[in-house]
Amino acid sequence: MLSIRNLSARVGDNEVLKGIDLEVQAGEVHAIMGPNGSGKSTLGKVLAGHPAYEVTGGEVLFEGRNLFEMAPDERARAGIFLGFQHPIEVPGVSNASFLRLAYNKKAESEGRDELDPLEFDDFIQEKIHMVKMENSFLDRSLNEGFSGGEKKRNEILQMCVLEPKLAILDELDSGLDIDALRVLGEVVTGLLSPQRALLVITHFPRILEAIHPGRVHVLYDGRIVRSGGMELALELEERGYDWLKPVAAPAETAAAGRA
Amino acid sequence: MATVTERPLLAAPFLPALQALARPHGWDLLRGRAEAALAAQTWPTTRQEAWKYTDLAPLKDLAFAPGLPAPVDIGPLILPEARGSRLVFVNGHFDPHHSNTSNLPPGVRLLNLAAASELAHDLGTLAGAGGDDPFISLNTARFRDGALLIVPKGTQVEAPIHILFVQAQEGEAPTCALPRLFVVLERNAAATLVEEYQGRGRTLACAVSEVLVRENARLNHARIQRESTEAYHFSTLAVRLEKDAQYDCRTIAFGARLSRSTPKVDLVDGGANLVLDSLALLGDGQVADTHSFIDHKVPNGTSRQVHKAIADGDALAVFNGIIFVRRDAQGTDAQQQCRGLLLSSRAKVDAKPQLEIYADDVKCAHGAAIGQLDPEALFYLQSRGMRPALARNLLTYAFASDLLAGIPLPSLRRQLRSTVLARTNAENLDTLP
Repeated sequence: MLSIRNLSARVGDNEVLKGIDLEVQAGEVHAIMGPNGSGKSTLGKVLAGHPAYEVTGGEVLFEGRNLFEMAPDERARAGIFLGFQHPIEVPGVSNASFLRLAYNKKAESEGRDELDPLEFDDFIQEKIHMVKMENSFLDRSLNEGFSGGEKKRNEILQMCVLEPKLAILDELDSGLDIDALRVLGEVVTGLLSPQRALLVITHFPRILEAIHPGRVHVLYDGRIVRSGGMELALELEERGYDWLKPVAAPAETAAAGRA
Repeated sequence: MATVTERPLLAAPFLPALQALARPHGWDLLRGRAEAALAAQTWPTTRQEAWKYTDLAPLKDLAFAPGLPAPVDIGPLILPEARGSRLVFVNGHFDPHHSNTSNLPPGVRLLNLAAASELAHDLGTLAGAGGDDPFISLNTARFRDGALLIVPKGTQVEAPIHILFVQAQEGEAPTCALPRLFVVLERNAAATLVEEYQGRGRTLACAVSEVLVRENARLNHARIQRESTEAYHFSTLAVRLEKDAQYDCRTIAFGARLSRSTPKVDLVDGGANLVLDSLALLGDGQVADTHSFIDHKVPNGTSRQVHKAIADGDALAVFNGIIFVRRDAQGTDAQQQCRGLLLSSRAKVDAKPQLEIYADDVKCAHGAAIGQLDPEALFYLQSRGMRPALARNLLTYAFASDLLAGIPLPSLRRQLRSTVLARTNAENLDTLP
């Protein structure tokens, strides 16, 4: 589903990704872990197409298509979803209108019927119940004044509405208490299917107990330095990240780049 | 760059035409003072601070003809909530045929000012004769018809009142009108008022509105300017708030090539509460200038002012807002915000919020923020599958939506929303808040 090959990227003058290789197949759950500043969030933003990040080398294929030839909104309609670490507040746009618009844009691109406000209300009720949000959040402006945890619930609500093929969840656990994390973990795993894949970006192993990744990768200074199973996450919980620090920076630091 | 020379205002080509307007009797003293002020005034130039950004040059050589009564289809302009509480003026003339005041409580007066000068002795006491503002002088000296609204003591008017000034250019010559409005809410009265300017073609409106809200009265006032983008629109609003008066005023301006709005509110007795909000939505070729003055004269007044401007193309929005807190006005709580949204690299918003405080125990704050759409918000919407154009439109609409939400009539609110949506080319947003 997703092939990342020797990907490097920078923001401003700062080279953040320095040659990432990763294969994600449909039906798989991968976790990307790593210390602060290792490039985890950058990877999510590059995959979603954030304009501030410049791809300097490598390629990414999504279902065989060159991801970098697709605008961010095309990627979203093709089935990529990024759950933001810090979701944006948009005063003046109601959450319900936003969700319906997002749903309808995707439905339109897939040739499905769009939902009118009443139909959408029926549709959203079940989902909002799943993520245990109050109905009143539908009438409020998108993320405006939401607590950290409420914003994360709202991200997962959007994921439920859009049913992406590939969901990339960036630090889903930040701002969530244990109970909320368990609820959202169940919702996210409930959305899994053999046709879908999940990439969980996280600093702490805690969330992985709720989501159960098949593969765990450790990102350090822009590179994947180790991959393994759930046991790797548990080891990180025990030992932290320092032991994975590359002993000496490789001499040929420059990732092969076009830029 | 001053392109207008200092020549007498009366030499302007459009003025002789205005003189031809038959003027109803009444207010002779006031008219005389205004006429004298006119004679002494010169054209405002961009060398004057108050007119620094608003160049009247395009106006000065236009020969406007006085508007004539004309049949205008006002069907689409009717607000259903105000079916029986409406006054209509066409090209400056009262239109009894389209007016309907059948649904008003007893004692409420809503009629043509020109026919009721004996009810409006106080006309001009709020706006003055325009010693330093030629557009007030012009209106006061020569207005013809206008609207008078008096809500008597303790009367709550349920139906919103709609006062509609329509102008339509007929033939080649641009037309002009001098709309006038005088509103009094007596003690403990309450009403909702929509003051609206509509128009087609090249028109000039010099409007003056005076509003007196007496003790413990409440007025919710929506001022809508949606003339054509070829129009020239000058409007003065002079308000006096007495003890514990509550006055909510929202001005929404979409039209006019050149517009200037000068609201002036005096809080003359304690406990008055003012909301003075405005939104200007401007496209290519439009200039909108708002010069507001809020005068806290006495203790314990509250004022909230939010001005928003959306400028596209090479539009220019000017905001100059003064909040004056006099020495006696202890306990004043005044907040002023100006926010500008630039949709193109050629658009401009000039904001000058000003607080002048002479009392020492007050709570006052002001601020201005001008910028473009937030790229992070744009990316967020795009990452949910919305095309860039839709994301931009949605955020532009969102910028305006809180001010639109304050419009008290559902039908008018819907109309204004769809205008904003059409102007931002937004699609599929019919059910936004």
